[in-house]
Amino acid sequence: MQKSKKIVVLGHFGVGKTSLIRRFVTDTFSDNYKVTIGVHITKKVVEISVENEVSLILWDLEGTDDIATIRNSYLLGTHGAVFVFDVSRPSTFEHLKDDLKIISDKMPKVPLMVVGNKSDLVTESELKEVLDEQEISVDFLTSAKTGKEVNTLFLKLATLLTTDA
Amino acid sequence: MLDTYQKKYTNNNRQFVLIDKTGIVLESDQTLMKIAFGHSIFELHPFFESLTSVFESKEEVNFYGIHIPFEDQLFIVDIKAAPVKEGLLLILKDLTEHYNSYQKITQTRNESVIKTELTVLKNQELAERERFKNSFIQNFSHELRNPLTSIMAIIEILGDTEMTNEQLQMLDFLKESNTNLRLMLEDTLSIGMIDAGQLQIQKGVFDLHKFFELLIFTYKAKAKEKGLKFDCLWDEKIPKLVEGDRLRLYQIVTNLIDNALKYTEQGSIQFDVKLNQKRANIVNLRFEVTDTGVGISEENKDAIFESFRQVKSNGTTKGVGLGLTIAKKLLLLMNSTIKMQSTLGEGSKFYFDLSFEYPLFTDSNSELSSKARRPKIEAKHLDQKKYKILLVEDDTYVQTTLFKILLNTNRFKIDLAYDGALVLQEVVTNNYDLILMDVNLPNLDGNQITRLIRDFPFKNIKNTPIIGITANAYEESIAECLKAGMQKVLTKPFEKDDLLKLIYKILK
Repeated sequence: MQKSKKIVVLGHFGVGKTSLIRRFVTDTFSDNYKVTIGVHITKKVVEISVENEVSLILWDLEGTDDIATIRNSYLLGTHGAVFVFDVSRPSTFEHLKDDLKIISDKMPKVPLMVVGNKSDLVTESELKEVLDEQEISVDFLTSAKTGKEVNTLFLKLATLLTTDA
Repeated sequence: MLDTYQKKYTNNNRQFVLIDKTGIVLESDQTLMKIAFGHSIFELHPFFESLTSVFESKEEVNFYGIHIPFEDQLFIVDIKAAPVKEGLLLILKDLTEHYNSYQKITQTRNESVIKTELTVLKNQELAERERFKNSFIQNFSHELRNPLTSIMAIIEILGDTEMTNEQLQMLDFLKESNTNLRLMLEDTLSIGMIDAGQLQIQKGVFDLHKFFELLIFTYKAKAKEKGLKFDCLWDEKIPKLVEGDRLRLYQIVTNLIDNALKYTEQGSIQFDVKLNQKRANIVNLRFEVTDTGVGISEENKDAIFESFRQVKSNGTTKGVGLGLTIAKKLLLLMNSTIKMQSTLGEGSKFYFDLSFEYPLFTDSNSELSSKARRPKIEAKHLDQKKYKILLVEDDTYVQTTLFKILLNTNRFKIDLAYDGALVLQEVVTNNYDLILMDVNLPNLDGNQITRLIRDFPFKNIKNTPIIGITANAYEESIAECLKAGMQKVLTKPFEKDDLLKLIYKILK
């Protein structure tokens, strides 16, 4: 039987949440930045293994400077969460620890993936510098532009959710 | 009849939908979307699949800005989900227009924030690169000071030996090349110091007329060598004694005249000083350097003031291209600006205005004239004994050079030490008349050793005069040496005469 899992994708504005989902769902990318207002919801069925499919309902939330202002109704019934930051813009990850604390307080038992997006915009050494500065380990370094690690991220989360279930 | 009008003017942007606990549509007023009764609402859009959690919460929940594409239209709606006895009542409020205009405003705002942030980051990166470049140039220049000091000293020592005319001529070339190299090094260091904010304008009273005479003396000969004419004219109303930074003014003016000389193959170079204004005890002067050289094209007019940029003359470049940059930056420090007029093929004029304080009452200028004279190196006042000097230096080139300079005078007996422990051992067992101390030593540096010597309980040791030798020409470094207890500090590269003059003065 196919299960449905709600995944919220959140983070500061302009970090590439919509692009990550678009890359995952339709395998496309656009350089044009279009601000998301409210929430866009899409669905993709993922095959974890033979006879084990999961329907991921992806909630692409409006980006915000202050994670605390995210409406609780958006998070209702969430199974998994993805926090996205932009590796090329320090303002999107300089309060990473605080942001993650707010999220885990709002959704205490929900598995959370921490993702540094736009990895194509920085060099390996700059990326290392960014990661070394963080006290929290980053789960994935993705590029919605090149597709790097995007499928792996969502597949891993889907697997984690179906295993937990 | 009234119903028709009511429908027209009543807000019709809300749709009421009733679903059961499995999501089957029981009723819908179809105001916005035509939803099929008896079918699961989950099929309409993935949003509705998430409503199962509302059934569990049993409380009214509001969702905002939900994007629902229906047929050929996109609705952006706020949805109220209220648990009722039949299942769930959904009230969809169409706010597409409102959200679209909000989107436009947010788009502009976010783009602007991101653009500003990326610009700041880019500027920080450029500033970081600039700092790295300056620090590299500074360190590299400092490293050059040691070998340059040795070359200069050895040239001078060689000059005192028997040589053929041909050898003397070659030595002259060598000396000139070394001097050029030293000047370039000084320019590079000056730029670094200005950029790092470590150069400060130091005012003092000086004789402006003598300043002009010195320039005439220096540049008439230089211009003549190149077949050019050099003239310096100044307004007689310009006060003789003014208060300003003579050294930096000299650096600005000589850089401009040197630049004119460099790019003029025939004709003349004119240095004029005019009186702009004289009020209370402030005099404002205009300095102009005019040449009949190659001139500067429009596209090069900004570039010539950038570090390490030069205009090619006859297909070649000359020097390191720092002269005009230094002049421009020094003038900025003095709250002035360099200006330029130039015509390609005809020549250029560089000019600037500077204000000076001028004392209305002065006793005499005898002190100034005596300062201008280069004192001869005299050691007659010293005893005929051989003075004992401890040379503390770890660089073998500098060791050799200093040994030669000092031993050639036949006035000194030299001991050598190259680290702190050895110095302390030597000063205890020997009674030195003077210590020449390199500042940059491994383990204990020159300042630390000096402090230890000054802390000795024995007067003959603690009072030994110490001259510091350093490649670091920064004011704060020199101040630190003096604070540690050194009498004087000599910066590399120095000339033989400077060193001997200082030693004789201190031994006196």
